Amino acid sequence: MKPATLWLRRRAEDVAAGLLAVMFLTFLVQIFTRYVINYPLAWTLEVCLTLWLWLVFWGAAFILDDRDHVKFDMFYFAASTRVRRILALVTAVAILAGFLAALPATWDYITFYKIKKSATLRIRLDIVFSVYGIFAVAIITRYALRAWQLLRGAEPDAVAQPHEQVAVE
Amino acid sequence: MISLPFGACLIALFGLAGIGAPIALSMFVAAILYLFVKGHDPGLAAEQSIQGLYDSFLLLAVPLFIVAANIMNQGTISDRLLDFCKAVVGRFRGGLAQVDILVSLIFSGMSGSAVADAAGVGKITINMMLRSGHYSPGLAGAVVAASATIGPIIPPSIPMVMYALISDTSIGYLFLAGIVPGLLMTVVMMGITTWIAHRRDIPAEVPVPVRELPKVTFRALPVLFMPVILLAGIYGGATTPTEAAAVAAAYALLLAALFYRSVSWRGLHAVLVDSARSSASVGLVIGSALIFNYIVASENIPNLIAGWLAQTELSPLAFLLFANIIILLLGCLLDATTIILVILPLFIPTCRELGIDLVHFGVVMVVNCMIGLITPPYGMLLFVINATTGIAIKDIVREVMPYLVALIASLLIMTLFPETVLWLPRMFGYQG
Repeated sequence: MKPATLWLRRRAEDVAAGLLAVMFLTFLVQIFTRYVINYPLAWTLEVCLTLWLWLVFWGAAFILDDRDHVKFDMFYFAASTRVRRILALVTAVAILAGFLAALPATWDYITFYKIKKSATLRIRLDIVFSVYGIFAVAIITRYALRAWQLLRGAEPDAVAQPHEQVAVE
Repeated sequence: MISLPFGACLIALFGLAGIGAPIALSMFVAAILYLFVKGHDPGLAAEQSIQGLYDSFLLLAVPLFIVAANIMNQGTISDRLLDFCKAVVGRFRGGLAQVDILVSLIFSGMSGSAVADAAGVGKITINMMLRSGHYSPGLAGAVVAASATIGPIIPPSIPMVMYALISDTSIGYLFLAGIVPGLLMTVVMMGITTWIAHRRDIPAEVPVPVRELPKVTFRALPVLFMPVILLAGIYGGATTPTEAAAVAAAYALLLAALFYRSVSWRGLHAVLVDSARSSASVGLVIGSALIFNYIVASENIPNLIAGWLAQTELSPLAFLLFANIIILLLGCLLDATTIILVILPLFIPTCRELGIDLVHFGVVMVVNCMIGLITPPYGMLLFVINATTGIAIKDIVREVMPYLVALIASLLIMTLFPETVLWLPRMFGYQG
């Protein structure tokens, strides 16, 4: 990665870590107010859910590389480099086409919610949901770039050190 | 029977996922294709995934359990647990392997993830086994892989949270229902280990003198206390499972930062970034599975399957065995998250039709999916251990076979005798 891209990537990671940290703290506030001082707050749940939504789509947009996703790559890695390039290209073009085709309708869906506000914090829902739009555009950009690089002869899986395994199972 | 739009959707999904596209993104693309061919609003893909994630209080447990597991893998929390387990079971034949299994059992009461267990504390026990010179790399890897499957069976459990989401069952009862099966798996695996140790003449560790036991236990006490806090919180009715997840993470952080002084700000930042990455990855799979499930439901597929199975007049037991075989086979090829979120919903209406208890079904299927984590060619735990220790996958696979047989035998017991699963939740008032 170029220094500028790397810098942006680090800041995107900081944002994701921040979203998670605030969500965690809000949860603790909720537990404290509900069980310890017996004065439950209404807004904590909504904050957590909003941060969770943002964490997923922000993270998927900016801090998950192609290789960080859950994949079934047995056939892919059994193939020769030439075939792999073609498979990677098909993948990139399909994802690009799918998200691009749905983009106008996605935009309509999100902007439709400018008339509604969230339950307790009264935030406009188009703002809450806008993170999905950010995610869709980031995916389109990322896979357009990948398709372009593959067409220009880039290695299909020229990657740096992979990240730690995803620990959810 | 299968409509054209749905056929196109399936072809796109299997085609893309099969050539190595990210599974979550494949589901998005397949769903978008379905909506276009069907002539529906393609914005539904966004709607289903946004609403599904934004509305589910239950799912908040997932990132919190991930944070808790990652914090516990930092620093000396696992060291103290290891000392304790060594003092307790190190004196038996195959001592270090027994230690690993006991550690996995206790660790599983704190983390909800098999992969976190294998990558964290499992990596340490593998090194201990290899250093002792009595264990082949394949055997060390196999013990850790097999014992890590207990992680999501004993509560807390991320896979069970996902099952609760798709089946509308109580997460509290699901968690309780996992305890006896988890203990059963532990006992069975310790037995297999003893047998292997006898055959290969693997010695016990130098026994820790009994008079040192209180000291070692005392040092590990704060760690051992964690599962107690979690379970007491949930079943004492004090907190919801989601809140318990937050308490667990906070407790782990408190221990690591204040008590054991093993986490720095820098370390904490790394834990948060790693956890955020894992959360985003699994969250995206959940979000995309929700769209896919919406499509499957609107095509009425689960009811078609239920109707078709009703015609064959399968008995509930025959259906359970059939489902087990299918999921075991799929477990060789797919990851557990995908199976739970995408395949299991297809079976739920049939279970209802046949009067199969959904808590029983859920625990059996989660155990089944965890066995899938150690079955080649696609076994997440095999990959993780290979990645963290460099032990060849084929060596682990060869040595894991006896454990695999034992785990499948345990699975059969849980399937045939629902009481093994349902006894404990019924003690706590479950009406199933």
